[in-house]
Amino acid sequence: MANISIHKAPEQYVVLPFFITSGIFFLIFTVLIVITGRGLFGHHFQPKVLAIVHSLALGWGTMVIYGAAYQLVPVIFERPLSSSRLAFSTYILLTLGTCLLIYSFWHFKIGLLMCLGGLLITFSSYLYFYTLWMTTKDVEHLFELRLYFTLSAFWLCFTTTLGLLLAINLFHGFLTKSHLDILKLHAHVGIVGWFLQLILGAGAKMLPMFLLGRSAKTKWLYVSIILINLGLVLFLLDGYTHPVGLRSLIFGVIVLLGVICWAVFVVDCYIHRARNILDITMKHSFISFLSLLFAFFTLPMVVQQQFGSWVNLYFVWLFLGWITGLILGMTFKTLPFMIWNWHYKDLNGTKKIPMPKELYSQRLLSIQYYLYLLALFVMAIAVAFKLKWLLYCAAWTWVALAVVYVLNIVKVVFHRRTL
Amino acid sequence: MKIDLTKPEAFEELKAVQALMLVMDPELGINIVDMGLIYHLDLTDPSCIVVTMTLSSAYCPMGDSIVQGVENTLQQQFPNKAIVINLVWEPIWTPDRISEEGKILLDRG
Repeated sequence: MANISIHKAPEQYVVLPFFITSGIFFLIFTVLIVITGRGLFGHHFQPKVLAIVHSLALGWGTMVIYGAAYQLVPVIFERPLSSSRLAFSTYILLTLGTCLLIYSFWHFKIGLLMCLGGLLITFSSYLYFYTLWMTTKDVEHLFELRLYFTLSAFWLCFTTTLGLLLAINLFHGFLTKSHLDILKLHAHVGIVGWFLQLILGAGAKMLPMFLLGRSAKTKWLYVSIILINLGLVLFLLDGYTHPVGLRSLIFGVIVLLGVICWAVFVVDCYIHRARNILDITMKHSFISFLSLLFAFFTLPMVVQQQFGSWVNLYFVWLFLGWITGLILGMTFKTLPFMIWNWHYKDLNGTKKIPMPKELYSQRLLSIQYYLYLLALFVMAIAVAFKLKWLLYCAAWTWVALAVVYVLNIVKVVFHRRTL
Repeated sequence: MKIDLTKPEAFEELKAVQALMLVMDPELGINIVDMGLIYHLDLTDPSCIVVTMTLSSAYCPMGDSIVQGVENTLQQQFPNKAIVINLVWEPIWTPDRISEEGKILLDRG
């Protein structure tokens, strides 16, 4: 056998539940959009909108990122997960906590139930941080990737702790600052510190792998990390002492510069690639990052509004365009490979076996892509111009998209080996 | 990968290379010989085959299955020999090692 151990992938039970559950939460989220309807046009601080946003941010985004991280971190850092049990317990805590939180927000039952949900999610984030830290603490190389993963986990803990404090503050007011102002900080620590940083870190490793590309410009990744965290810390310090306003744009620009530095590295990998792929999963990623740019472009209008079309559009680009688009594509770059490894790893080289991309339906993936484009475009127009009838069209398109996505996930997960 | 036909073990080496062409990189869908992952085959010892190979990256999620595939296919073809796999990271694999056939398959011919 090989004299270098490369068998580091975690057990199936650690990773699969995250992918399956996130798909279910995505479906729930789309149904909630239909039920809420024109309520989405109003202020973001309303029970049903809070429930929808948390079903998306926690049940969909965070859930699938946990699963993908538990799969990728051992492979990238060449260390087995420090504890599969702890990793699995983060799944239980996150799932229960998210269900409680969605229920309490939807019915606006402020009190113990909401706080319990927040507490479970906060514990889950601490355990995730601990598992990640213990897995990678002895790794001396790949320092820039460690920074991306560790700092994003730290900001996740910060986000969940702040969220828990906000939940407590709702029924036992103790914060001296405006609840809505702190809510803005809570949302942006989650978006920039957790989602953005983790996605950029994973992308810095995955995209070169998919493209068979290389770049020596890793210094740009360090600059990217510094700028993103600098922008976020300054935003938090400023946001705690002043209301979010035009001045906050400076911090948004610093974060944008961080994303551009990351893009320099990725573009260099793209130029020096051996593989010319533009499959549907990569198209999803392209649209996703385009949506992130759109979100940045809307910032000058967003900071001048307390609520309204620009704020809603901003969240559409971030949550539905950027995060959702990326997950919809990347799921089929990770999940089929896990299942393939499970069924066919031992048969490789002995007979003709199906490849991972044959485990899911290309046709469904293609339908998913066009539904995603349609749903995002129609949603953006409906929200921007407050068109009620168009919002219903968009909402039903999201439901159709979620159904197609979940069907394809089911096809992969329940794949049967025929050889 | 070049085979010196003047060597006494050339036939076996050819047989081994053909066997290794059955091992696919699951992500890319091309075989590992055309990928340039096999650096050297040593069949001078009649009791074993020593394969010196690499992976496209040290953190290739499919690395385990590829190494397993090499062992499987060679064991099938040479049931009486031990298979020894030296997984190395030097020289580092670069896309330049992909064969012309491999490049065509990767749409970069």
